[in-house]
Amino acid sequence: MPEPADPVPTPPAGRRLPARDAVVVIVLAVLLLVLFEGPSIRDAGDDMQPGVERDVTRAIGQPAGWLADRLPFDEASDDALAVIEDDEGAGAGGFASGGRAGGVPPVPPESFDPAQLGLQPEAPRPLRTLLVTGDSLSMPLDAELARRLAGAGVEVERDAHVGTGISKTGLADWGELATEQTADLAPDAVVLFIGANEGFPLPGPDGAEVDCCGPAWAAEYAYRARRMIDTYRRAGRARVYWLTVPAPRDRDRQEISRAVNAAIGVAAEPYRAQARVLDMNALFTPDGRYRDAMTIDGERRLVREPDGIHLNGTGAELAADAVLTSLRADFAIR
Amino acid sequence: MVFPSLQFAFFFPVVLALSWLLMPHPRLWKPFVLAASYLFYAAASPGYALLLGAVTLGNQAGAVLVARVPAARRTHVMAGVVALDLVVLGVFKYYGFFAGEIGRSLDAIGLGMPLPLLELALPIGLSFITFQAISYVVDVKRGVIQPASTLDFGLYLSFFPHVVAGPIVRAREFIPQLATPRDPRNVAVGAGVVLIALGLIKKVAIADYLARNVVDDVFAVPQAFAAPDVALAAYAYAAQIYCDFSGYTDIAIGVALLMGFVFPQNFDSPYRATSFGDFWRRWHMTLSRFLRDFLYIPLGGNRGGRLRTARNLMITMVLGGLWHGAAWGFVLWGALHGTCLVIEHQLRGRVNAPAWLRWAIVFHVVVLGWILFRAESLSLAGELIGRLVVPGEATLWAPAAVAAVVVVIGMQLLPPAPLERLRLRVAQLPAPALGAALAAVVAVVGATVPSGEVPPFIYFQF
Repeated sequence: MPEPADPVPTPPAGRRLPARDAVVVIVLAVLLLVLFEGPSIRDAGDDMQPGVERDVTRAIGQPAGWLADRLPFDEASDDALAVIEDDEGAGAGGFASGGRAGGVPPVPPESFDPAQLGLQPEAPRPLRTLLVTGDSLSMPLDAELARRLAGAGVEVERDAHVGTGISKTGLADWGELATEQTADLAPDAVVLFIGANEGFPLPGPDGAEVDCCGPAWAAEYAYRARRMIDTYRRAGRARVYWLTVPAPRDRDRQEISRAVNAAIGVAAEPYRAQARVLDMNALFTPDGRYRDAMTIDGERRLVREPDGIHLNGTGAELAADAVLTSLRADFAIR
Repeated sequence: MVFPSLQFAFFFPVVLALSWLLMPHPRLWKPFVLAASYLFYAAASPGYALLLGAVTLGNQAGAVLVARVPAARRTHVMAGVVALDLVVLGVFKYYGFFAGEIGRSLDAIGLGMPLPLLELALPIGLSFITFQAISYVVDVKRGVIQPASTLDFGLYLSFFPHVVAGPIVRAREFIPQLATPRDPRNVAVGAGVVLIALGLIKKVAIADYLARNVVDDVFAVPQAFAAPDVALAAYAYAAQIYCDFSGYTDIAIGVALLMGFVFPQNFDSPYRATSFGDFWRRWHMTLSRFLRDFLYIPLGGNRGGRLRTARNLMITMVLGGLWHGAAWGFVLWGALHGTCLVIEHQLRGRVNAPAWLRWAIVFHVVVLGWILFRAESLSLAGELIGRLVVPGEATLWAPAAVAAVVVVIGMQLLPPAPLERLRLRVAQLPAPALGAALAAVVAVVGATVPSGEVPPFIYFQF
């Protein structure tokens, strides 16, 4: 059978216009979007990882946002699209809204795990609702936990917010999200795995931006993380299991993950009775050295995704083991 | 860089305007579009652009060599170049899978694991790039085309509308378009804009909505759902993958049209197919014809009797499945389609079923196949299929989700003429109206994205 010929494809039927009109259509569409969606472009630029893309987006987004702020189009477009827009992000308790108390804060009793003091731990309680949340790091851990707990009488709520971070609030403000999740679900336990999109400058105590990844940045990050833990622990009614970030392959990202992990440890200190920090570095990257594969039950297996950041299915299984061990210490799970 | 992104919204108007400005001067225009295409591709990772450059230079050298050596040696040279292409693809795409499988097998008999386990990042679009490079070298060997200039070949492989996820354009379709000057008075602007808008709606408003609200939850934890939800998820994934991939193709073809280039069609209402052969003539058409021309026919095609035809069909479909990714689910998916094609071939002329019954069988087997394709593992696929008979509550049957599935599948069953007339009518609008309409579509579909970021197209991973 001779191979069928593939002639140059014929263009679709319809009216033809000059090339100038093609440029007019696209430029006009972009201009209209700048006028109507300028603030969104500005926010998106602020939320990007540092680099050329961010610089270009901000270079366009800042004047576009400035212009849109002075015109009524953005508001009109928001009103018109409100019907179909997802209203995630609304709510109270955002990072921008929080004040700070002066002086030395008192040390609350929750700073101590009863086991530290040689006391009898509380009797395990039933686990009815488990919230697994975070950024893309929380996937596929969330699905793995849901599978393992299927049939155990535990309702596993999975709420991953891809591309978000605690050090940036454009896509999602984790202060608000934590408040909303807690109000909506009232979880008995919260598993939090976040940190793939961090390293953004944070506003310091005096309002000036603090760059990653020194003590000042870690302190601001820890402050945000501490507020989240305080929200999630629901005044002692819930437990929080915060997984640290296993060292990524990229050295620049390693610097960020070190600061994030240090901050998580500090953040959880006042709430040791309810907040557990699960050390993923000890599990996946001992001594902070990145590895794609590790020996599991005598067999070498890949545990990371090709991006060198996320856990793959096997890695998620290991992380789930660690989470379940901790959960079982605090809750009676079938 | 992906089409539905801010970066592309800034990139494309500049490239489009400069492209038409430089078009009358090929010595400026070609390097410019090549540079723009590499910039587009390198946005994901600059290292990928180096690999694309290496693949381009290697295949160009191979094609030139194929054309120069005596006819008797051409096959060997071509085979060497194709083998090198497959090695590159194999290392990046299949190394982890096969190293793990071989290692596990050897370990089981006490020989240890000789191959280091590495998780290599698959450069975006490498499968598409490799297939296009292979088609070029083979077509040069067959005498269908002459070796192009390195610049033209580089432009063919890297041209940004199709570099990431096709359609798989053959060199003999694309390179002649580089030789013929584009006519700046005769551009299919309306058709291009309609395709871009349609692609955005399919991808962002439908595919991503179904993924978020039905598919991802059920495929992640099937144990938590009963038959009504699992069935909805299976149909929803059929709608999602069609909208995701054909949406990407629509945008790619529309962008190319605005640049003055015509790409081949990649989808033709695949869910109206009444046979498996018909399905593969309608689904990912450019991959189907690649597999036909470069695998099935060279294997012998339908010459040599029923058994040989069956063998050739199975090999083609299993390798076609494996092309999608290094996982047993894809292999099984390919084998399922191969088996159905073989059965269909054997029954041809013997069974005369009504069209509606043939449609129902083909559609539901295709949907079943998508479960193998989408599930993260074979055990999860088995769990999903098993739960199709577990009675229980319908928790995900939101009107919007059901409507999206019905519309996506139902539209393909309608006669195409009225839809085509509607498309033509919209495409007739004057340029300012088209620009305003496109902006409105972008704003509306953008508002349906809760996180502000559009997930990658499914076919990017292939």
